[in-house]
Amino acid sequence: MHKQNMILRHKLFDRICHWFIVAVGLVTFLTGFAFFFPSFQWLGAIAGTPQMARFVHPIAGLMMCLPLMLMLVRYYHHNKWEKNDLTWMLAIKDVMLENEDKIPAIGHYNPGQKVLFRTFVVTSIVLTVTGFMMWQPYFAHYFASTAIEWAILLHAICAVIMLIFVIVHFWMATWVEGSVAGMLYGAVSRAWCKKHHPNMLKDPELKTIKREKH
Amino acid sequence: MSAQDIILSSGTSTLAPAAQVRKKLSKIAKLFDATKCNGCKGCQVACSEWNDLRAPIGEFTGSYQNPADLSSECWTLMKFNEVTDENDKLRWQFTHSGCMHCDDPACLTACSTKDAIVQHANGIVNIDSDKCIGCGYCVTACPFDVPKLDEIDQKAYKCTMCSDRLQVGQEPSCVKSCTTGALKFGTREDMLFIADLRIKQLHEKGFTKAGLYNPQGVGGTGMMMILHDISQPESYGLPADPKTSLPIKLWQDVVKPLGAAGIIATVAVACLHRITVGRNVVDESDNDDDSEAIDHTHPTQSDKE
Ligand code: SF4
Ligand code: SF4
Repeated sequence: MHKQNMILRHKLFDRICHWFIVAVGLVTFLTGFAFFFPSFQWLGAIAGTPQMARFVHPIAGLMMCLPLMLMLVRYYHHNKWEKNDLTWMLAIKDVMLENEDKIPAIGHYNPGQKVLFRTFVVTSIVLTVTGFMMWQPYFAHYFASTAIEWAILLHAICAVIMLIFVIVHFWMATWVEGSVAGMLYGAVSRAWCKKHHPNMLKDPELKTIKREKH
Repeated sequence: MSAQDIILSSGTSTLAPAAQVRKKLSKIAKLFDATKCNGCKGCQVACSEWNDLRAPIGEFTGSYQNPADLSSECWTLMKFNEVTDENDKLRWQFTHSGCMHCDDPACLTACSTKDAIVQHANGIVNIDSDKCIGCGYCVTACPFDVPKLDEIDQKAYKCTMCSDRLQVGQEPSCVKSCTTGALKFGTREDMLFIADLRIKQLHEKGFTKAGLYNPQGVGGTGMMMILHDISQPESYGLPADPKTSLPIKLWQDVVKPLGAAGIIATVAVACLHRITVGRNVVDESDNDDDSEAIDHTHPTQSDKE
Protein backbone atom coordinates (compact mmCIF):
# COMPACT_ATOMS: atom_id res chain seq x y z
CA MET A 1 0.00 0.00 0.00
CA HIS A 2 1.21 3.44 -0.85
CA LYS A 3 1.91 5.92 1.80
CA GLN A 4 -0.01 8.92 0.75
CA ASN A 5 -0.67 12.43 1.81
CA MET A 6 -2.72 12.51 4.94
CA ILE A 7 -5.24 15.10 5.95
CA LEU A 8 -5.09 16.80 9.32
CA ARG A 9 -8.39 16.11 11.07
CA HIS A 10 -7.55 16.89 14.69
CA LYS A 11 -4.96 19.42 15.87
CA LEU A 12 -2.50 18.40 18.56
CA PHE A 13 -4.16 20.54 21.23
CA ASP A 14 -7.55 19.01 20.52
CA ARG A 15 -6.11 15.53 20.61
CA ILE A 16 -4.49 16.09 23.98
CA CYS A 17 -7.72 17.61 25.21
CA HIS A 18 -9.73 14.65 23.92
CA TRP A 19 -7.55 11.97 25.49
CA PHE A 20 -7.32 13.90 28.73
CA ILE A 21 -11.11 13.87 28.87
CA VAL A 22 -11.10 10.15 28.14
CA ALA A 23 -8.67 9.47 30.98
CA VAL A 24 -10.38 11.51 33.68
CA GLY A 25 -13.77 10.54 32.25
CA LEU A 26 -12.91 6.91 32.86
CA VAL A 27 -12.15 7.68 36.50
CA THR A 28 -15.33 9.73 36.80
CA PHE A 29 -17.52 7.05 35.26
CA LEU A 30 -16.07 4.11 37.15
CA THR A 31 -16.30 5.90 40.50
CA GLY A 32 -19.75 7.26 39.64
CA PHE A 33 -20.93 3.81 38.65
CA ALA A 34 -19.90 2.64 42.11
CA PHE A 35 -22.36 5.08 43.74
CA PHE A 36 -25.11 4.63 41.18
CA PHE A 37 -25.18 0.85 41.30
CA PRO A 38 -23.99 -0.17 44.78
CA SER A 39 -23.52 -3.74 43.51
CA PHE A 40 -20.66 -2.30 41.48
CA GLN A 41 -19.07 -0.62 44.46
CA TRP A 42 -15.86 -2.50 43.69
CA LEU A 43 -15.43 -0.30 40.62
CA GLY A 44 -14.81 2.58 43.02
CA ALA A 45 -11.74 0.69 44.15
CA ILE A 46 -9.83 2.18 41.22
CA ALA A 47 -9.60 5.22 43.47
CA GLY A 48 -8.36 3.10 46.39
CA THR A 49 -11.26 2.97 48.82
CA PRO A 50 -14.94 3.83 48.46
CA GLN A 51 -14.33 6.98 50.52
CA MET A 52 -11.51 7.95 48.20
CA ALA A 53 -13.80 7.34 45.21
CA ARG A 54 -16.31 9.73 46.76
CA PHE A 55 -13.60 12.32 47.18
CA VAL A 56 -12.07 11.86 43.73
CA HIS A 57 -15.31 11.65 41.73
CA PRO A 58 -16.29 15.34 41.78
CA ILE A 59 -12.75 16.47 41.05
CA ALA A 60 -12.34 14.05 38.15
CA GLY A 61 -15.82 15.09 37.02
CA LEU A 62 -14.80 18.72 36.84
CA MET A 63 -11.62 17.78 35.00
CA MET A 64 -13.81 15.94 32.51
CA CYS A 65 -16.46 18.62 32.02
CA LEU A 66 -14.34 21.77 31.88
CA PRO A 67 -12.06 20.71 28.98
CA LEU A 68 -15.23 19.70 27.16
CA MET A 69 -16.21 23.35 27.19
CA LEU A 70 -12.85 24.07 25.59
CA MET A 71 -13.65 21.54 22.89
CA LEU A 72 -17.02 23.19 22.45
CA VAL A 73 -15.25 26.44 21.59
CA ARG A 74 -12.73 24.77 19.31
CA TYR A 75 -15.14 22.48 17.48
CA TYR A 76 -18.11 24.81 17.42
CA HIS A 77 -17.79 25.73 13.74
CA HIS A 78 -17.62 22.07 12.71
CA ASN A 79 -20.81 21.26 14.55
CA LYS A 80 -23.27 23.61 12.97
CA TRP A 81 -26.27 22.02 11.33
CA GLU A 82 -25.84 21.77 7.54
CA LYS A 83 -28.19 21.20 4.66
CA ASN A 84 -27.57 17.51 4.04
CA ASP A 85 -27.80 16.67 7.69
CA LEU A 86 -31.50 15.98 7.84
CA THR A 87 -31.45 13.64 4.84
CA TRP A 88 -28.46 11.90 6.40
CA MET A 89 -30.40 11.42 9.62
CA LEU A 90 -33.32 9.98 7.70
CA ALA A 91 -30.95 7.60 5.97
CA ILE A 92 -29.58 6.37 9.31
CA LYS A 93 -30.54 2.79 8.46
CA ASP A 94 -28.35 2.87 5.35
CA VAL A 95 -25.55 4.42 7.36
CA MET A 96 -25.68 1.60 9.85
CA LEU A 97 -25.89 -1.07 7.19
CA GLU A 98 -23.14 0.51 5.10
CA ASN A 99 -25.28 1.09 2.01
CA GLU A 100 -22.94 3.89 1.15
CA ASP A 101 -24.40 4.79 -2.23
CA LYS A 102 -27.57 5.87 -0.43
CA ILE A 103 -25.94 8.15 2.11
CA PRO A 104 -25.87 11.90 1.39
CA ALA A 105 -22.46 13.54 1.46
CA ILE A 106 -21.59 15.25 4.72
CA GLY A 107 -18.78 17.44 5.99
CA HIS A 108 -16.28 17.35 8.82
CA TYR A 109 -18.79 15.77 11.17
CA ASN A 110 -21.86 13.77 10.40
CA PRO A 111 -25.15 14.70 12.08
CA GLY A 112 -24.87 11.70 14.40
CA GLN A 113 -21.59 13.06 15.70
CA LYS A 114 -23.14 16.50 16.05
CA VAL A 115 -25.96 15.10 18.16
CA LEU A 116 -23.39 13.25 20.27
CA PHE A 117 -21.32 16.37 20.76
CA ARG A 118 -24.33 18.46 21.73
CA THR A 119 -25.46 15.81 24.18
CA PHE A 120 -22.01 15.74 25.77
CA VAL A 121 -22.03 19.52 26.12
CA VAL A 122 -25.53 19.73 27.59
CA THR A 123 -25.09 16.80 30.00
CA SER A 124 -21.70 18.17 31.07
CA ILE A 125 -23.25 21.47 32.02
CA VAL A 126 -26.09 19.84 33.95
CA LEU A 127 -23.72 17.37 35.61
CA THR A 128 -21.40 20.18 36.68
CA VAL A 129 -24.17 22.34 38.13
CA THR A 130 -25.95 19.49 39.93
CA GLY A 131 -22.61 18.04 40.96
CA PHE A 132 -21.72 21.25 42.76
CA MET A 133 -25.09 21.20 44.52
CA MET A 134 -24.52 17.73 45.97
CA TRP A 135 -20.79 18.08 46.62
CA GLN A 136 -20.16 17.16 50.25
CA PRO A 137 -18.83 18.67 52.38
CA TYR A 138 -17.94 21.79 50.43
CA PHE A 139 -21.01 23.06 48.61
CA ALA A 140 -24.04 20.96 49.55
CA HIS A 141 -24.77 22.96 52.70
CA TYR A 142 -25.53 26.04 50.61
CA PHE A 143 -28.57 24.32 49.14
CA ALA A 144 -31.92 23.19 50.50
CA SER A 145 -32.53 19.46 50.84
CA THR A 146 -35.29 19.45 48.25
CA ALA A 147 -33.04 21.16 45.73
CA ILE A 148 -30.29 18.62 46.37
CA GLU A 149 -32.71 15.71 45.98
CA TRP A 150 -33.70 16.93 42.51
CA ALA A 151 -30.05 17.58 41.73
CA ILE A 152 -29.20 13.97 42.62
CA LEU A 153 -31.98 12.73 40.33
CA LEU A 154 -30.94 14.99 37.43
CA HIS A 155 -27.30 14.11 37.95
CA ALA A 156 -28.13 10.41 37.68
CA ILE A 157 -30.29 10.88 34.57
CA CYS A 158 -27.63 12.93 32.81
CA ALA A 159 -24.91 10.48 33.80
CA VAL A 160 -26.85 7.60 32.29
CA ILE A 161 -27.53 9.55 29.10
CA MET A 162 -23.89 10.55 28.87
CA LEU A 163 -22.71 7.00 29.46
CA ILE A 164 -25.02 5.64 26.76
CA PHE A 165 -23.68 8.25 24.34
CA VAL A 166 -20.12 7.44 25.35
CA ILE A 167 -20.80 3.80 24.49
CA VAL A 168 -22.26 4.89 21.14
CA HIS A 169 -19.25 7.16 20.57
CA PHE A 170 -16.81 4.36 21.38
CA TRP A 171 -18.68 1.86 19.26
CA MET A 172 -18.87 4.11 16.19
CA ALA A 173 -15.24 5.13 16.55
CA THR A 174 -14.05 1.55 16.59
CA TRP A 175 -16.51 0.57 13.86
CA VAL A 176 -15.13 3.07 11.37
CA GLU A 177 -11.57 2.02 10.80
CA GLY A 178 -9.19 4.92 10.89
CA SER A 179 -11.12 7.21 13.20
CA VAL A 180 -9.35 6.13 16.37
CA ALA A 181 -6.01 6.52 14.61
CA GLY A 182 -7.24 9.91 13.42
CA MET A 183 -7.91 10.98 16.97
CA LEU A 184 -4.61 9.56 18.18
CA TYR A 185 -2.28 10.93 15.50
CA GLY A 186 -4.48 13.62 14.00
CA ALA A 187 -4.25 12.37 10.44
CA VAL A 188 -6.67 10.54 8.19
CA SER A 189 -6.20 9.48 4.60
CA ARG A 190 -7.81 11.16 1.63
CA ALA A 191 -9.66 7.96 0.81
CA TRP A 192 -11.01 7.89 4.39
CA CYS A 193 -12.32 11.43 4.02
CA LYS A 194 -13.86 10.63 0.69
CA LYS A 195 -15.66 7.65 2.12
CA HIS A 196 -16.88 9.12 5.40
CA HIS A 197 -16.80 12.89 5.17
CA PRO A 198 -16.61 13.81 1.46
CA ASN A 199 -17.54 17.47 1.93
CA MET A 200 -14.62 17.86 4.30
CA LEU A 201 -12.36 17.80 1.24
CA LYS A 202 -14.03 21.03 0.10
CA ASP A 203 -13.01 22.81 3.26
CA PRO A 204 -10.78 25.74 2.26
CA GLU A 205 -8.83 25.37 5.50
CA LEU A 206 -8.02 21.74 4.82
CA LYS A 207 -4.45 20.92 5.79
CA THR A 208 -2.43 18.18 4.18
CA ILE A 209 0.34 16.47 6.08
CA LYS A 210 3.16 15.75 3.67
CA ARG A 211 4.86 12.45 4.00
CA GLU A 212 7.98 10.96 2.54
CA LYS A 213 7.25 8.00 0.30
CA HIS A 214 9.39 4.97 0.61
CA MET B 1 -27.53 -7.78 67.33
CA SER B 2 -25.93 -10.02 64.80
CA ALA B 3 -25.86 -9.87 61.04
CA GLN B 4 -28.89 -12.17 61.01
CA ASP B 5 -30.86 -9.43 62.72
CA ILE B 6 -30.66 -7.15 59.72
CA ILE B 7 -33.84 -6.92 57.68
CA LEU B 8 -32.97 -4.02 55.37
CA SER B 9 -29.59 -2.94 54.11
CA SER B 10 -28.66 0.03 51.96
CA GLY B 11 -27.17 -0.50 48.52
CA THR B 12 -28.23 -4.13 48.24
CA SER B 13 -30.60 -5.80 45.87
CA THR B 14 -33.69 -7.68 46.91
CA LEU B 15 -32.85 -10.13 44.13
CA ALA B 16 -29.82 -11.28 46.07
CA PRO B 17 -30.61 -10.54 49.71
CA ALA B 18 -28.00 -10.53 52.41
CA ALA B 19 -28.42 -12.66 55.52
CA GLN B 20 -32.02 -12.23 56.55
CA VAL B 21 -33.59 -12.50 59.92
CA ARG B 22 -35.35 -15.80 60.30
CA LYS B 23 -36.94 -15.32 63.71
CA LYS B 24 -39.62 -12.76 64.24
CA LEU B 25 -38.66 -10.08 66.71
CA SER B 26 -41.08 -7.55 68.05
CA LYS B 27 -40.42 -3.98 67.02
CA ILE B 28 -39.35 -1.68 69.80
CA ALA B 29 -40.06 2.00 70.29
CA LYS B 30 -39.41 5.04 72.41
CA LEU B 31 -42.45 7.01 73.41
CA PHE B 32 -42.02 10.71 74.14
CA ASP B 33 -44.86 12.49 75.90
CA ALA B 34 -44.56 16.19 75.12
CA THR B 35 -47.33 16.90 77.63
CA LYS B 36 -45.14 15.66 80.45
CA CYS B 37 -41.74 17.00 79.37
CA ASN B 38 -40.42 20.02 81.29
CA GLY B 39 -37.40 20.67 79.07
CA CYS B 40 -34.77 19.73 81.65
CA LYS B 41 -32.47 18.34 78.93
CA GLY B 42 -31.62 15.30 81.05
CA CYS B 43 -32.05 13.05 78.01
CA GLN B 44 -29.85 15.27 75.88
CA VAL B 45 -27.05 15.17 78.42
CA ALA B 46 -27.47 11.43 79.02
CA CYS B 47 -27.13 10.84 75.29
CA SER B 48 -23.97 12.87 75.05
CA GLU B 49 -22.58 11.14 78.15
CA TRP B 50 -23.36 7.58 77.11
CA ASN B 51 -22.21 8.04 73.51
CA ASP B 52 -19.30 10.26 74.52
CA LEU B 53 -20.39 13.11 72.29
CA ARG B 54 -18.96 16.56 72.91
CA ALA B 55 -20.61 19.13 70.69
CA PRO B 56 -18.74 22.44 70.72
CA ILE B 57 -20.21 25.05 73.03
CA GLY B 58 -22.37 27.32 70.93
CA GLU B 59 -23.42 30.91 71.31
CA PHE B 60 -26.49 32.29 73.01
CA THR B 61 -28.92 33.30 70.30
CA GLY B 62 -31.94 34.14 72.40
CA SER B 63 -33.17 30.58 72.91
CA TYR B 64 -32.74 28.07 75.67
CA GLN B 65 -32.23 25.48 72.98
CA ASN B 66 -28.58 24.58 72.76
CA PRO B 67 -26.99 23.55 70.46
CA ALA B 68 -28.97 25.06 67.64
CA ASP B 69 -29.30 21.85 65.71
CA LEU B 70 -28.52 18.15 65.74
CA SER B 71 -24.98 17.36 64.65
CA SER B 72 -22.53 14.50 64.45
CA GLU B 73 -21.75 15.34 68.09
CA CYS B 74 -25.36 15.80 69.17
CA TRP B 75 -27.74 12.93 68.52
CA THR B 76 -30.51 13.97 70.85
CA LEU B 77 -31.59 17.57 71.11
CA MET B 78 -34.36 19.12 73.16
CA LYS B 79 -36.04 21.57 70.84
CA PHE B 80 -37.53 24.60 72.56
CA ASN B 81 -40.32 25.58 70.20
CA GLU B 82 -41.85 28.90 71.18
CA VAL B 83 -45.54 29.19 70.37
CA THR B 84 -48.12 31.81 71.27
CA ASP B 85 -51.62 30.61 72.04
CA GLU B 86 -54.97 32.31 71.39
CA ASN B 87 -54.50 34.59 74.44
CA ASP B 88 -51.10 35.75 73.12
CA LYS B 89 -49.42 33.81 75.86
CA LEU B 90 -45.97 32.46 75.11
CA ARG B 91 -45.53 28.75 75.66
CA TRP B 92 -42.76 26.23 75.08
CA GLN B 93 -43.41 23.07 73.20
CA PHE B 94 -40.62 20.61 73.72
CA THR B 95 -39.56 18.10 71.12
CA HIS B 96 -37.21 15.28 71.95
CA SER B 97 -35.59 15.35 68.51
CA GLY B 98 -33.36 12.66 67.15
CA CYS B 99 -33.62 9.78 64.77
CA MET B 100 -37.20 8.54 64.43
CA HIS B 101 -36.12 5.03 63.39
CA CYS B 102 -38.61 4.97 60.54
CA ASP B 103 -40.12 1.71 59.41
CA ASP B 104 -39.54 2.77 55.82
CA PRO B 105 -36.39 4.85 56.23
CA ALA B 106 -35.68 7.38 53.49
CA CYS B 107 -32.04 7.57 54.61
CA LEU B 108 -31.54 3.88 53.89
CA THR B 109 -33.34 4.11 50.56
CA ALA B 110 -31.10 6.97 49.47
CA CYS B 111 -27.79 5.61 50.75
CA SER B 112 -25.41 4.80 47.92
CA THR B 113 -23.28 2.40 49.87
CA LYS B 114 -23.70 -1.29 50.47
CA ASP B 115 -24.59 -2.01 54.11
CA ALA B 116 -23.74 1.52 55.29
CA ILE B 117 -27.26 1.90 56.68
CA VAL B 118 -29.09 -1.11 58.04
CA GLN B 119 -32.41 -1.75 59.67
CA HIS B 120 -32.51 -4.37 62.38
CA ALA B 121 -35.37 -6.76 62.97
CA ASN B 122 -36.40 -4.78 66.06
CA GLY B 123 -36.84 -1.70 63.87
CA ILE B 124 -33.66 0.17 64.74
CA VAL B 125 -31.98 2.00 61.86
CA ASN B 126 -28.24 2.31 62.21
CA ILE B 127 -25.39 3.83 60.22
CA ASP B 128 -22.15 1.89 60.01
CA SER B 129 -19.62 4.69 60.00
CA ASP B 130 -16.95 2.26 58.89
CA LYS B 131 -18.73 1.74 55.59
CA CYS B 132 -20.15 5.24 55.17
CA ILE B 133 -18.42 7.20 52.40
CA GLY B 134 -19.77 10.62 53.34
CA CYS B 135 -21.84 11.25 50.22
CA GLY B 136 -24.52 12.89 52.34
CA TYR B 137 -27.42 11.29 50.46
CA CYS B 138 -28.99 10.25 53.78
CA VAL B 139 -28.61 13.79 55.15
CA THR B 140 -30.56 15.10 52.19
CA ALA B 141 -33.18 12.37 52.11
CA CYS B 142 -34.20 12.19 55.78
CA PRO B 143 -37.53 14.02 56.14
CA PHE B 144 -36.68 14.76 59.78
CA ASP B 145 -33.26 16.24 58.93
CA VAL B 146 -31.53 13.88 61.34
CA PRO B 147 -28.25 12.38 60.09
CA LYS B 148 -25.35 14.81 59.97
CA LEU B 149 -21.91 14.55 58.46
CA ASP B 150 -18.99 14.91 60.81
CA GLU B 151 -16.55 17.68 60.05
CA ILE B 152 -13.54 15.60 60.92
CA ASP B 153 -14.12 12.20 59.34
CA GLN B 154 -16.86 13.18 56.84
CA LYS B 155 -19.10 10.32 57.87
CA ALA B 156 -22.77 10.41 58.78
CA TYR B 157 -23.87 10.01 62.41
CA LYS B 158 -27.16 9.88 64.25
CA CYS B 159 -29.00 8.31 67.19
CA THR B 160 -28.46 4.55 67.43
CA MET B 161 -31.28 4.03 69.93
CA CYS B 162 -28.38 3.02 72.22
CA SER B 163 -28.10 -0.30 70.39
CA ASP B 164 -25.17 -1.20 72.61
CA ARG B 165 -27.31 -0.82 75.73
CA LEU B 166 -30.28 -2.67 74.24
CA GLN B 167 -28.01 -5.55 73.40
CA VAL B 168 -27.38 -6.17 77.10
CA GLY B 169 -30.99 -5.68 78.09
CA GLN B 170 -30.89 -2.03 79.10
CA GLU B 171 -33.11 0.79 77.91
CA PRO B 172 -31.75 3.77 75.93
CA SER B 173 -29.84 6.22 78.13
CA CYS B 174 -32.24 9.08 77.40
CA VAL B 175 -35.16 7.03 78.67
CA LYS B 176 -33.17 5.97 81.72
CA SER B 177 -32.45 9.56 82.65
CA CYS B 178 -35.86 11.10 82.06
CA THR B 179 -36.89 12.92 85.23
CA THR B 180 -40.60 13.33 84.54
CA GLY B 181 -41.46 10.02 82.95
CA ALA B 182 -41.98 11.74 79.61
CA LEU B 183 -39.84 9.10 77.90
CA LYS B 184 -40.78 5.45 77.88
CA PHE B 185 -39.33 2.45 76.12
CA GLY B 186 -40.65 -0.96 75.15
CA THR B 187 -42.21 -2.85 72.26
CA ARG B 188 -44.07 -0.72 69.76
CA GLU B 189 -47.23 -2.58 70.67
CA ASP B 190 -46.89 -1.66 74.33
CA MET B 191 -46.02 1.94 73.53
CA LEU B 192 -49.07 2.26 71.29
CA PHE B 193 -51.20 0.91 74.12
CA ILE B 194 -49.75 3.31 76.69
CA ALA B 195 -50.10 6.21 74.24
CA ASP B 196 -53.72 5.33 73.67
CA LEU B 197 -54.49 5.42 77.39
CA ARG B 198 -52.63 8.66 77.87
CA ILE B 199 -54.36 10.38 74.95
CA LYS B 200 -57.77 9.33 76.26
CA GLN B 201 -56.79 10.79 79.60
CA LEU B 202 -55.71 14.04 77.95
CA HIS B 203 -58.93 14.26 76.00
CA GLU B 204 -60.87 13.89 79.26
CA LYS B 205 -58.80 16.67 80.76
CA GLY B 206 -59.84 18.98 77.94
CA PHE B 207 -56.84 18.66 75.62
CA THR B 208 -59.12 17.54 72.82
CA LYS B 209 -56.52 17.95 70.12
CA ALA B 210 -53.95 15.72 71.77
CA GLY B 211 -52.78 12.81 69.65
CA LEU B 212 -49.95 10.47 68.73
CA TYR B 213 -47.31 11.40 66.18
CA ASN B 214 -46.45 8.15 64.43
CA PRO B 215 -46.44 9.22 60.76
CA GLN B 216 -47.61 6.54 58.34
CA GLY B 217 -45.84 8.17 55.39
CA VAL B 218 -42.66 6.54 56.66
CA GLY B 219 -44.49 3.39 57.75
CA GLY B 220 -44.65 4.48 61.38
CA THR B 221 -41.69 5.27 63.59
CA GLY B 222 -39.70 3.70 66.39
CA MET B 223 -39.82 7.04 68.15
CA MET B 224 -43.41 8.12 68.76
CA MET B 225 -44.59 11.34 70.33
CA ILE B 226 -47.70 12.37 72.20
CA LEU B 227 -48.42 15.99 71.27
CA HIS B 228 -50.84 18.49 72.81
CA ASP B 229 -52.03 19.37 69.36
CA ILE B 230 -51.62 16.67 66.75
CA SER B 231 -53.15 18.92 64.06
CA GLN B 232 -50.05 21.12 64.08
CA PRO B 233 -46.93 18.96 64.14
CA GLU B 234 -45.01 21.82 62.47
CA SER B 235 -45.24 23.82 65.68
CA TYR B 236 -43.08 21.06 67.22
CA GLY B 237 -40.59 21.28 64.38
CA LEU B 238 -41.96 18.04 62.94
CA PRO B 239 -43.05 17.55 59.32
CA ALA B 240 -46.80 17.07 58.84
CA ASP B 241 -46.43 14.33 56.25
CA PRO B 242 -42.90 12.92 56.22
CA LYS B 243 -42.06 10.40 53.52
CA THR B 244 -39.38 9.42 51.06
CA SER B 245 -39.45 12.27 48.57
CA LEU B 246 -40.44 11.90 44.91
CA PRO B 247 -36.99 12.57 43.41
CA ILE B 248 -35.38 9.98 45.69
CA LYS B 249 -38.01 7.41 44.71
CA LEU B 250 -37.73 8.20 41.00
CA TRP B 251 -33.97 7.98 41.24
CA GLN B 252 -33.89 4.61 43.00
CA ASP B 253 -36.97 2.92 41.53
CA VAL B 254 -37.10 4.31 37.99
CA VAL B 255 -33.80 5.80 36.86
CA LYS B 256 -31.64 2.93 38.13
CA PRO B 257 -33.51 0.04 36.48
CA LEU B 258 -34.20 2.06 33.31
CA GLY B 259 -30.58 3.20 33.24
CA ALA B 260 -29.33 -0.35 33.60
CA ALA B 261 -31.68 -1.50 30.83
CA GLY B 262 -30.59 1.37 28.58
CA ILE B 263 -26.90 0.71 29.11
CA ILE B 264 -27.27 -3.04 28.53
CA ALA B 265 -29.44 -2.49 25.45
CA THR B 266 -26.92 -0.06 23.95
CA VAL B 267 -24.04 -2.45 24.48
CA ALA B 268 -26.12 -5.31 23.06
CA VAL B 269 -27.02 -3.35 19.91
CA ALA B 270 -23.37 -2.34 19.51
CA CYS B 271 -22.24 -5.97 19.75
CA LEU B 272 -24.93 -7.15 17.33
CA HIS B 273 -23.99 -4.43 14.89
CA ARG B 274 -20.36 -5.41 15.08
CA ILE B 275 -21.16 -9.07 14.48
CA THR B 276 -23.57 -8.45 11.60
CA VAL B 277 -22.18 -5.39 9.81
CA GLY B 278 -18.57 -5.79 10.83
CA ARG B 279 -15.93 -3.11 10.53
CA ASN B 280 -16.23 -0.20 8.19
CA VAL B 281 -12.96 -0.48 6.31
CA VAL B 282 -11.58 2.13 3.94
CA ASP B 283 -10.23 0.92 0.63
CA GLU B 284 -7.04 2.95 0.49
CA SER B 285 -6.46 2.09 -3.18
CA ASP B 286 -9.71 3.80 -4.11
CA ASN B 287 -8.00 6.94 -5.34
CA ASP B 288 -9.80 8.10 -8.40
CA ASP B 289 -9.46 11.60 -7.10
CA ASP B 290 -7.26 13.95 -9.16
CA SER B 291 -4.85 14.82 -6.43
CA GLU B 292 -4.50 11.19 -5.48
CA ALA B 293 -3.88 10.24 -9.08
CA ILE B 294 -0.98 12.67 -9.08
CA ASP B 295 0.13 11.20 -5.81
CA HIS B 296 0.17 7.77 -7.36
CA THR B 297 2.03 8.56 -10.51
CA HIS B 298 4.58 10.84 -8.93
CA PRO B 299 5.04 9.49 -5.46
CA THR B 300 8.38 11.19 -4.93
CA GLN B 301 6.90 14.61 -5.63
CA SER B 302 4.48 14.56 -2.82
CA ASP B 303 6.62 16.76 -0.64
CA LYS B 304 6.44 19.61 -3.09
CA GLU B 305 2.69 19.66 -3.26
S1 SF4 C 1 -35.51 9.73 61.03
FE1 SF4 C 1 -34.20 10.07 59.28
S2 SF4 C 1 -32.28 9.11 59.85
FE2 SF4 C 1 -33.82 8.29 61.25
S3 SF4 C 1 -34.53 6.40 60.23
FE3 SF4 C 1 -35.93 8.04 59.59
S4 SF4 C 1 -35.04 8.74 57.65
FE4 SF4 C 1 -33.42 7.59 58.70
S1 SF4 D 1 -23.31 9.66 54.00
FE1 SF4 D 1 -22.82 7.53 54.51
S2 SF4 D 1 -24.65 6.68 55.43
FE2 SF4 D 1 -25.23 8.60 54.45
S3 SF4 D 1 -25.93 7.99 52.41
FE3 SF4 D 1 -23.76 8.46 52.20
S4 SF4 D 1 -22.71 6.51 52.53
FE4 SF4 D 1 -24.82 6.24 53.26
